[in-house]
Amino acid sequence: MNGKAMTRRDLIRALATAAVTTLPAAAFGAGRGQSGKRPAFGPLLQVALVPCPDYDPGRLVEAINAGWRSTRPPDVRGKRVVIKPNIADFSAERPIHTDARLVEALILHLKTLKAREIILAEGPPHNRDTEWLFRKSGFEALAKRQGVVLIDLNYDDISPVKCVNPQATLLKELYLPKTVLSADVIISVPKMKTHRLAGITLSMKNMFGILPGIKYGWPKNTLHYNGIPLSICEINGTLKTHYSIIDGVVGMEGYGPLLGTARKAGVLVMGDNALAVDATAARVMGIDPGRVDYLAMAHKIKLGSLRREDIAVAGEKIEKVRVDFVLDPEYSFLRAPKG
Amino acid sequence: MMNPSLLQALDFIKANQNPDGGWGYRPGGESLVEPTAFSLLALSSRGDKTAVGRGLDFLKTCVKDSGAVGIHPRDPEGSWMAYAALLAFHALGAAAEERRLKDWILGFEDASGHFTPDDIKAISTVYRYDASIRGWPWTSNTTGWVEPTALFIIALVRAGTPPSQDRVRSGVSLILNRKVPSGGWNFGNPFSKSYELEATVMSTALALAALGAAGVPESRPAVGEGIRYLARGLAGDVSTASLAWTLLALRSYPAGAAQARAVAARLAGLQATDGSFRRNLFETALASLVLDDGGALLQASRRSG
Repeated sequence: MNGKAMTRRDLIRALATAAVTTLPAAAFGAGRGQSGKRPAFGPLLQVALVPCPDYDPGRLVEAINAGWRSTRPPDVRGKRVVIKPNIADFSAERPIHTDARLVEALILHLKTLKAREIILAEGPPHNRDTEWLFRKSGFEALAKRQGVVLIDLNYDDISPVKCVNPQATLLKELYLPKTVLSADVIISVPKMKTHRLAGITLSMKNMFGILPGIKYGWPKNTLHYNGIPLSICEINGTLKTHYSIIDGVVGMEGYGPLLGTARKAGVLVMGDNALAVDATAARVMGIDPGRVDYLAMAHKIKLGSLRREDIAVAGEKIEKVRVDFVLDPEYSFLRAPKG
Repeated sequence: MMNPSLLQALDFIKANQNPDGGWGYRPGGESLVEPTAFSLLALSSRGDKTAVGRGLDFLKTCVKDSGAVGIHPRDPEGSWMAYAALLAFHALGAAAEERRLKDWILGFEDASGHFTPDDIKAISTVYRYDASIRGWPWTSNTTGWVEPTALFIIALVRAGTPPSQDRVRSGVSLILNRKVPSGGWNFGNPFSKSYELEATVMSTALALAALGAAGVPESRPAVGEGIRYLARGLAGDVSTASLAWTLLALRSYPAGAAQARAVAARLAGLQATDGSFRRNLFETALASLVLDDGGALLQASRRSG
C-alpha cells in the first residue's frame, strides 16, 4: 500500500473508468416488468419486518408465512416461480451467500401454496465455477432434496429484451436468461450485506445476478462500466421482481459483499416492492436509504418509494431491530442518525 | 484407439446436436459457440464427417464481417467465445476463418488501455496489480481478466501464433502479475485493499495451462506455486470443469505428471451412465478431449511446454 487514502469516488471511477454515464434519472420512464405493468401501489407500500433469530427450519417457515400474510405477495398458485438467491461466492468463514435453509423454507411455503414449478436460479458474478459454488453453498443438495431445478443463469439460453430506458446507455437491450423471462413470478432472496462498490446489496442489487456471464463476462464488467446505480435501475426497471425476502438473520457488515464479517440482525424483510423492501432493510442496518445512490435513483424514477411515509411496515418496528452494520470508512456517510 | 467410455461420451455429444448444426451447453439448449466448438473438437477425433461438417457450417455463421465471433450467430459483437471458435477453425482446417479470427483476437481491445495514470495508480493501491498490462477481456469495452486471457493464449498458440508475439507476451505478463501471493490465481484480483483474495482451482488451472502453452518454464516460481496450489485444491471438492482444466494444466508441466494420473482417474469417474459429464455438452467435450491423450488441446501444451 502506498499510504494514499483511496476515496470512494476514486475507486469507483477506477473500476468503471470513463464510461460511467451521467444519464439523468428523468430519462427513464416509469419501470415496467416483463408482464407489462407494475402493480398498483395503493396508498402505502407494504413491507414486513419479521423477527427470526436463527435458521431453525420451523421458525423460518413460520417467519415466511407471517411476512407473506402481512404484505401483498404474488399469487403463486399454478405458477412457475423462479427464486433468485444471492450466491456471490462461498466462504466457510464468512456469510456471503443467502442461507440455503431460508430458501428451503420458502420452497416449502410455495409448495403449500401450490406453485406449479419452482426453480432456483443464480448467475454468480466472478467465480465461474458454479457447480462448485452450488455444492459448497448447499443449494445443490437443497435442490435435490426438494425436487426443484437449479439453474446456472450464467450459461442459460438468452434473449434480448429492450431496455426500459432507451437513451444514452450502454445497455440498449438486456440479454436475459430464458429461465427468468419465462417465469410467472420472480422472488429475490438476497443476503443483507454491505457492498464495497454500491454501499449495500439487498434485493435490487441482487438482480445483477440474473444477467448471464456468457454475455456480460465475469465479473459482469459491462454493468460496472455502465455505472452500478444506473445498471441496477435499468435491470429492475426492465424486469419486475414480484417479491423480495431479505436474509437478515445473519448478514455481513464491513467490507462486503465478500470480505466483510458476520452481523446478526435477526430479521427477514419482505414485500412486493423491492425498493421499499431495500429501503426498510437499509434502515434496519442503520443506513439512510436516501444516501445510497441506486436507491435514490430508483426512487426518482418511480420504481417504488424509499420514503418512510410511503411504506407501511408490518411486524416489528424498525427502531427496535435496528442493528448498525459496521460500514467501510468510505461509506460512513451512509449512516442514518438515530432517533 | 479410443476407449469405450470416451466413445460413449462422443455418442452423447453426437446425439445432442441441434438441427442448426450447433450445440448448446445442455441437450436441447440454444446453439452457442463454446459448446459447439468443443463438441466439434471432440467429434473430429472420431472422424465423424457429417456431424462435424454441419457443426462447422454453424460455427461459420457466427463469423462477422470483421472476422469476429460472438456467442451465437445473432450476437452483434465478438467476445470471449472466439477462443473456442479459433481452436475449432484451426483443428478443422477452416483456414480463412481461422486467419481472420486470429487477426480479430489479436486486435480485441483490453479497455485498460483507456485507464489514466491515476486510474492505474488507484487500482494498484486497492487491488495490487498493474492495470497497464494488457490481456484479454470477456466482452468488448471491458478490461482484461485472468481467465479470458488464458483462454485466448491457449487458442492462439494452438493455432500457431508464436508465444513471442507481443500480445501473447503481454497476456502472459498479465497472468504472472495477477498471481495470488500465497499461490495460484483467481479471476484476477490478488487483493482487495488489505485482504488477499483466495485463489480458485479453475482460474489456477487455466492460468497454468496458458503459461504452459506459452512456454513459461516450471522453474518460474509462479508456476511451481500454482502447481502446489492445485495439489492443495485437489484435496477438496473440485468441479467437473475444474478437474478437466486441471488435467490440462498438469500435463503441461513435468512436475504435474504424477498428479495428472490421479486427476484423470478422478475425472473419468465422474462420467454418467449416459456417457455425459453432468449432461453438459461443453463439459462432456472438454473432459473427453483432456482424457484422450491425443486431444487437440493437449498437443498445444505439450509442444511448447
